[in-house]
Amino acid sequence: MKTFLYFVLFMFLAAVVILLAAMLGDLGAWYFAWLIGTAMIVLVAAAGAALLDTQEEQAADRSGPAPPRPS
Amino acid sequence: MIDGTVVELSRIQFAATALYHYLFVPLTLGLSFLLAAMETVYVTTGKPIYKQMAQFWGKLFMINFALGVATGLTMEFQFGTNWSFYSSFVGDIFGAPLAIEGLMAFFMESTFVGLMVFGWERLSRGQHLAVTWLVALGSNLSALWILVANSFMQDPQGAHFNPVTLRMELTSFQQLIFSPDAQSKFVHTSIAGYVTGAIFVAGISAWYLLKGRHVELAKRSFRMAALYGVLATVGVITLGDALGFVAAQAQPTKLAAMEGLWKSEPAPMPFNLIAFPDQALQKNAGTVQVPYLLSLLVTHSLDGTVAGLDTLERQAARKVEDGIPAVLALKTLSTNPHDTAALAQFKAHQQDLGYGFLVQRYAPDLEHVTPQQVQQAARDSIPPVAAVFWSFRLMVAFGLLMLAYFVLAVIYTLRNRVQDQRWFLRVAVWMIPIPFLANELGWLTAELGRQPWTVFGVLPTWMSASTHSVGYMVFSLAGFMLLYSIFIAVEMALMVRAIRHGPDESGDGATPPGPRPGLAPRPVPAAPRHPVPEG
Repeated sequence: MKTFLYFVLFMFLAAVVILLAAMLGDLGAWYFAWLIGTAMIVLVAAAGAALLDTQEEQAADRSGPAPPRPS
Repeated sequence: MIDGTVVELSRIQFAATALYHYLFVPLTLGLSFLLAAMETVYVTTGKPIYKQMAQFWGKLFMINFALGVATGLTMEFQFGTNWSFYSSFVGDIFGAPLAIEGLMAFFMESTFVGLMVFGWERLSRGQHLAVTWLVALGSNLSALWILVANSFMQDPQGAHFNPVTLRMELTSFQQLIFSPDAQSKFVHTSIAGYVTGAIFVAGISAWYLLKGRHVELAKRSFRMAALYGVLATVGVITLGDALGFVAAQAQPTKLAAMEGLWKSEPAPMPFNLIAFPDQALQKNAGTVQVPYLLSLLVTHSLDGTVAGLDTLERQAARKVEDGIPAVLALKTLSTNPHDTAALAQFKAHQQDLGYGFLVQRYAPDLEHVTPQQVQQAARDSIPPVAAVFWSFRLMVAFGLLMLAYFVLAVIYTLRNRVQDQRWFLRVAVWMIPIPFLANELGWLTAELGRQPWTVFGVLPTWMSASTHSVGYMVFSLAGFMLLYSIFIAVEMALMVRAIRHGPDESGDGATPPGPRPGLAPRPVPAAPRHPVPEG
């Protein structure tokens, strides 16, 4: 049931986005570009952080286990 | 007639308050979405360091937000106090977006800002993330309505002048919000805010890296800011080009001033890289030119031409002559609104009404206008070229500098080497003022380039102000300057204190290599590892 509700919610959001895109595409292409561009910029920045975590984990794996901290 | 000194003081007062206010706005616009990005990573990965990042940068956001709101409030009142004729003339159009902005800023944005600050322990992760995104959207949509209002001043669309009520009236809200100037200006300005937020975060993160404090937080913040900033800078430059294209159609005098273009030339036109415009002689004292580039930049074609100020001045003189009968008809209609002959005369000349107002400054009796007075008014239609030219050049230079900086920042951070480039970290700290300056220069270009109009081609600046005394204007201007300087000092002091204090410690500071508790993700059920087949 929960999956179904999520499905309905996301289908509704998709419909809203399509409607908005169709309207903005006709009337205000730059507004549409702002919506898409902002989402993309934020997600690329977020992906960059996730990538840094992965790079750090790989670097830690390569250098072996961390030495014990002095007590 | 309004005293010219009062008009100039009103202009200086609005410019000063707007420039002060705009020291805060771009950071709010840009930092809000960067906070949303940080919190999105926190919610999706569950790593506490991203929560720490969102909270720390959120604290700086709040300091800036509070002072931005305080400095913005007075500006809306200035329309009524210092620009009463303007407010009466275009209030029906200008008031609508300002009212929506008020609702956006004070209801949506402020409500969600409160939830964002105080909701960390009261809302679920998903709810808090939604709130942070709504703060970012609310901030930027507030800016949208202000920029729609400003775009009406640059390119008045969706309205007409009613000769009976003597006011402009809104005819199409759709045209108002979807005008090409409103669209390109909003996206250009909003994304310029993103660049400001990115350079701010990258600069402070660089300072922490130089000091060896909060290294893990600073590296992640720098990485996110660099990627966010490089894309935003590309967007700003793209939209700057679009805005120039729009100005070529709607405000040819502004474009010609931006390019220091005194005389029309055949295509392909050279670009004045450096020039020293002389307003009195109507020529450039010295120039360094790039062949063909102006045609390409403005018309996106080697065959395209841009009208020079000589051509535009001649056109303005014709418009002034055409606008005089419109103003005369308006005077008749103000005493007898049913005079059909006057109404017909007005309709025949209404497209140049503003130019008729322009000559009234020199010829209060429009029945007897001399050719010299027409010429004076036509010359007035040219904005202050040197100021517009150099504001624009410096803004573009700063934009290109920021692009180069972000490209280098992305290269270093993607290799995870930025912390080793100490020279670059020092540069990053010194870059912090650059986007603020670029934003201010952008507004100077836009608003000085619009002169001598408050509403381009419709309402001259000289008749838009209120009839205050010079003493009143000097007193209020001094008061604003003092108050706003205190605001800036308070902002700087609070920011520096918060930055020096840093984020709440979680063991990720200048620590030797070892386990990093702040980076630990939330516990997840252990999954069996698939053995890697050999051979």
